Amino acid sequence: MRYGDKPVQIATYKHDVWGREVLRGVSWDLLWLIIVAAFIAIALHAIYEALRKRGDRPSSEGERLNRHDAIDRAFHWVMAASVFTLLVTGIFPIIGLEFAWLDIHWIAGIALTLVVVLHIIRSVFFQDLSSMSLGPGDLKEVLSDKQKPGKYSPAQKGMHAAVTILTLLVIASGLVMFSMIDTPWWDRSNALPETTLGLVFFVHGLSTLCLIGLLCLHIYFGLRPEKLFYTRSMIKGWISRDELLANHDPERWTPDKTPN
Amino acid sequence: MPSFDVMPEVQLYQPVELADALKLADQLGEHGWLLGGGQDTYGWLKDRAKQPRAMIDLNGIEALHGIRDSDDGLEIGAASTLRDIIGNDRINREFGLLAQAAGRVASPQIRNVGTLGGNLSQDTRCWYYRRGLDCYRAGGNICYADGPEAMNREHCLFGASRCVAVSPSDTATALVALDASMIVQSVDGQRKIAAEDFFVGPDTHITQMTALDAGEILTAVRIPSRWAGKHFYFEKVADRNVWDFALVSIAAAISMDGDLIGDSRIVCGGVACEPHRLKQVERRARGKALSVETADELAPLASQGANPINYNHFKMPLMENLVRRALRG
Repeated sequence: MRYGDKPVQIATYKHDVWGREVLRGVSWDLLWLIIVAAFIAIALHAIYEALRKRGDRPSSEGERLNRHDAIDRAFHWVMAASVFTLLVTGIFPIIGLEFAWLDIHWIAGIALTLVVVLHIIRSVFFQDLSSMSLGPGDLKEVLSDKQKPGKYSPAQKGMHAAVTILTLLVIASGLVMFSMIDTPWWDRSNALPETTLGLVFFVHGLSTLCLIGLLCLHIYFGLRPEKLFYTRSMIKGWISRDELLANHDPERWTPDKTPN
Repeated sequence: MPSFDVMPEVQLYQPVELADALKLADQLGEHGWLLGGGQDTYGWLKDRAKQPRAMIDLNGIEALHGIRDSDDGLEIGAASTLRDIIGNDRINREFGLLAQAAGRVASPQIRNVGTLGGNLSQDTRCWYYRRGLDCYRAGGNICYADGPEAMNREHCLFGASRCVAVSPSDTATALVALDASMIVQSVDGQRKIAAEDFFVGPDTHITQMTALDAGEILTAVRIPSRWAGKHFYFEKVADRNVWDFALVSIAAAISMDGDLIGDSRIVCGGVACEPHRLKQVERRARGKALSVETADELAPLASQGANPINYNHFKMPLMENLVRRALRG
């Protein structure tokens, strides 16, 4: 595959202080490739959904059932804001919109790290982690039209698993990179070997690119008419009983009622 | 790192019309190299640290030469040599600060061929970067000049953001102090950029020293008459008196209101990636006399906010002393 007059590379290389070729980081040519791939996937899905016959959409009227607690919604939107900030500050300078991005980037990175740590603590100790875990049962749901999911569908679980892995990779590599810049708390050490540093930049860049692709899909699905009630539930917290019955198996997920 | 005995092959264009040069600059984009006096060109090329496809020699373009009146002050063509500036009567009479700064650039031989545009647009002297290492400034992911074992005596006190290089230009500090504007042209038209904004820091443009984009040419510098004939002070401290870059320099333009300081613009070179204005000193100097007392009171403000690295702490008292000498009258 070619981009302009050169083949698309996955990684870029540089010479270290000894003149040896070492990894520098990810090739940002992939950014356009991933965005195009995500939009092709979105277009194909949109066409498929347009051709597919669907029954009436369940009503949002009637009894309201709790899907997301306020704290979980807050986590989601703080995470979204910090990821958005990280992407704008990380990607815009690369595509030519230059501004003083570095301080905003690491501050947003710290915010994301804290929120993710809190979310992990909450989900491990205070929530039902299994409701988001992918397992063999999810395969049955995918293959069967009749079996409905519990709180989360296999697609949602898959998205969550992918975002979790990529976010943890971005955070881990970002923290290493953070140690390599001056901050109010320490002066940079330049202690990492250049080969390791290149690998860290590569992991950070590649996981960022994959996250961009996933976020395109996530936002698309969040805005699809038949899925819009999930987005509403991430804002207001509730879904209706009709929406529950149409999309979930009430025996596998029994949400609490919320006051109307 | 390999070393080379001969120059690489590079195409050479020698346009005589500005329009042709702009067209070439546009066509070549990042692969083109603007050639003034060549004093910050041939080293890069010979070491293969920069590998342009072609050079555009600007010296044959008449419009880029000369020192003339502008609507409000003086306009200096970017291809005017530093010797032209040093020897110009009007510059010496009205804007002696620039003449003094130009007179401290490098050596007489270099000033004979070096141009104002070249002096302003030259790249930083960080030796790690100039050696061709793939540092942040070269598009890499590390700064070799800021580590426990790095030699960074010449590097910056202010405005570091990953890169710690400094602006090496002597005329830059004088032109920022004189509130000059840079006239930048491209095939898309003309931009007028305040000298203060022309030089850019690593936080926004880590691979550039100036706001010049590929395809643009610095064609002239305009100095407003507002600062003509004011009180000026320029001093450059370097390891050698000739053929060396500033460790720290100071350029001050001071408008006196009777015996008291009115507006002033005080700029330090060699301490940041851009000419570094001492705004706090300027503010606090207003209404005070040029005197030893004022100098002693305000000098410590100069280095406030400095973030020295391993070997450049000496620049802080040096800055303070230069401010002291500029304000003592």
